[in-house]
Amino acid sequence: MTTRDDIAFLARRAVWGLAPGQLDVLEVAGTSAYIDALVAPAAAGIPVESSPWADVDFVDDPELGVEQGLETFERWTTHLSETQRPLENTVAWFWHDHFAVSVRVVQHLPTMINHLDLIRDHGLGDFRELVRSVSTDAAMLVFLDGTTSTGEAPNENYGREFLELYTLGLGNYTEDDVRAAAVALTGWVVRRRLDWEVQFIPRRHDPTPQSFLGEMVDDVDSVVDVACSHAACPGFIAGKLARFFLGSVSDAAVGEMARRFEASGLGLPVLVRDILEAGVAGETTPQVVAPVPWLIAAIKATGAVIEPRARIGLLRSMGQVPGSPPSVGGFPGVSTWLASSATAARFTAANMIAHVTPDSAVALTLAADGEWDGLADLLLRPQGFSMATLAALRDLSAGVSTRPGEAALALALASPDLLIA
Amino acid sequence: MSNKHLSRRTFLGAAGATAGVATAGGGVWAALVRESAEQSVLDGIGISSTTTTTTTHAGGTAMPYSDRVLVVLEMAGGNDAINTLVPASGLYQDARRDLELPAEQLITLRGTDYRMHPGLAPLADFWNAGSMAAVAGVGLPGQSRSHFKAMDAWWAGTAGTPSQTGWLGRWLDATLDGINDPLRAIALGGGSRALVGEHALATVVRNPTDFSLRTFPNMDADALIDAFLATAEPLATTTELAAAQEAIPATLEAVELLASVSGDGTQEAGFGAGARRGGESAADLLDTVAGIIDLGIGTRVMAVGVSGFDTHADQLTRHQDLLADVGSGLAAFFDRLAADGNLDNVMVVTTSEFGRRIQENGSLGTDHGTGGLQFLFGSGVNGGKVVGELDLANPVQGDLPVLLDTRSVYSVALDWLGGPTDEILDGPHDRLGLVA
Repeated sequence: MTTRDDIAFLARRAVWGLAPGQLDVLEVAGTSAYIDALVAPAAAGIPVESSPWADVDFVDDPELGVEQGLETFERWTTHLSETQRPLENTVAWFWHDHFAVSVRVVQHLPTMINHLDLIRDHGLGDFRELVRSVSTDAAMLVFLDGTTSTGEAPNENYGREFLELYTLGLGNYTEDDVRAAAVALTGWVVRRRLDWEVQFIPRRHDPTPQSFLGEMVDDVDSVVDVACSHAACPGFIAGKLARFFLGSVSDAAVGEMARRFEASGLGLPVLVRDILEAGVAGETTPQVVAPVPWLIAAIKATGAVIEPRARIGLLRSMGQVPGSPPSVGGFPGVSTWLASSATAARFTAANMIAHVTPDSAVALTLAADGEWDGLADLLLRPQGFSMATLAALRDLSAGVSTRPGEAALALALASPDLLIA
Repeated sequence: MSNKHLSRRTFLGAAGATAGVATAGGGVWAALVRESAEQSVLDGIGISSTTTTTTTHAGGTAMPYSDRVLVVLEMAGGNDAINTLVPASGLYQDARRDLELPAEQLITLRGTDYRMHPGLAPLADFWNAGSMAAVAGVGLPGQSRSHFKAMDAWWAGTAGTPSQTGWLGRWLDATLDGINDPLRAIALGGGSRALVGEHALATVVRNPTDFSLRTFPNMDADALIDAFLATAEPLATTTELAAAQEAIPATLEAVELLASVSGDGTQEAGFGAGARRGGESAADLLDTVAGIIDLGIGTRVMAVGVSGFDTHADQLTRHQDLLADVGSGLAAFFDRLAADGNLDNVMVVTTSEFGRRIQENGSLGTDHGTGGLQFLFGSGVNGGKVVGELDLANPVQGDLPVLLDTRSVYSVALDWLGGPTDEILDGPHDRLGLVA
């Protein structure tokens, strides 16, 4: 693999695309400099970015709910396509998929935005702190019913998903552990009438020490500590994050990542760096690209200007709406991205993107001139298009009478090649 | 400024103008659809071996297996069995102090100790006619309280470690004969994992009301769609890329099919507050299913998924809405089947990955449980009865005991399709007297 291939790989998997010309610049600096800049942007002189929602001031008006909701999630897609710190944003997306908090359940945009800021601020920090913060985050307390759970009637929803989905995975805990966690986590309440402030109400909490994963716990701090210190935690998180970026990963590789992740005190930058380096070293399989990364990469490569509402509409029809994972298991996977509905929607979206790509865009020039290798390289496939797609592009541009550049660009974006990273 | 700024209205207008692209285009996929339609016509008049595989069912008419359709309605999230089929027991009132359904609203089920949730009232006629049955206290060996583990097991239809294939996918594999037609099995809205086979293809449409290929009016739509189809061949050697390629012709066929059943597909779903959790209603999805059945293109299995049954909080209202959608949706579906002359060809089976805890949880909801509930509908069902029991008196860790294996229900369903059944479900499993 050449440096160009390696950088294109990192840009597809961890950055979700590059603007024209960036691949050349990064190739000169080299692969390890790129990984450094991704994992530690501050050291590379890339300034801290403010929240995509820093200047949002929503009026609490149900009539405006839909408009404001669209604006909220459109801002996120804009930020993803414009950020100079892409990794902290793709990792935040991973946590959005991991915790899977949905605005449809939370039903309060400022609270949802706080949650999204939280997973972005802590997403590349310390895993224990991230989980501790999420456990008493207003959005999560509403999402998995912590706010209605009391010592007298503990609600197990958060306790169960905390163990199964967020920290350890199935097979590493018992039903008794679920109950113990539920009891120890009681007492945290979202006060909707006080601007959705989170409060700890001692009389709703059951302080009786509970046996949990072989230790005694009586509050949220001890539950988070015990779970994060459990032997299964580093491997569970390392495996899931590695698969997010790399596809299938060998048990041996995950084991090594987990060991270093644990030794670092569950430091996520260590883990993410190991994952990216493993990927460059060949520990990776082809991945089916989800709709959000597909769309962000297409926008970056073409400079297309899509009206905000339409952008969310396209994502919805492809089956992945920011802010709305369909279940607590997160966004669906490969079978949904390959489903007929997503395939049809991808064709439509590709046509739309090509249509609103500026006439001056490199992508459109390359497509109009039949520079297929150049177009593939711009779309971060430096090895060129597949045989089938190449033949289809040639036939289309030879046979189509109207707007051949736009048609070829649409086809390239819709092609199966772009669905595989 | 050279940037073109596209307004949503322009785009939707364009979409409206070209929504007929797939139907008017008449490409290769249309020929494929016609081919499969002709195939099923031949099957229907019994030219092939179908004459030897007919049975005589309750009505006395011989119905070839090839005319029979199975619809599996997945109620995802874990439907609360006890508030759906309410046991006549004081233990019910004890467990459900806040969630108890008022007795006067419940639907009496003749000859049983149960009454039904008012949302299912439109189905009472089917019960009384003996074409609706309930299976109570049902699950799989080692039934899990985890959504994901339980769903995996229910889709797989295997005990122990779930297989990579689904129970319906294995049936599609076993009956694969000649052309691998992806329209033989269609999932709408969800439940598609049960259709995963090793070889057989299936069509998966998450959102049928927004399913079309759109181009702009000034573009050569036919050329673009033909070129899109051309990217599918030759198949790449990489598995993932090949899968992305194979999805394209299957999609074009399915677009064609659904366009002919349900109009132009430009309808927009709601967003944000007030929108249904999990997408389209059972009523809408089932209406599309009825349309596909009436096309008679050889679709044998349809999975329909509706979600939102994970009622940890505010259960009374939510469950009412969900069951009313299912109840009225199914009743309308059967009405349409009857009007089209297809009613006797269809069996419907409901699934849900688990039942909920017997005791309510203090948040006006219920937590994950184990023992669950299924319904079966159709002329092939020996109905009007509850098989099994929602046994409140003998809870296991606070849950309804799992007394019956859902592979029994699956067996009835696969028998309806003509099997083979036992090898697919690691049987034989007791048919529980549910076959008419």
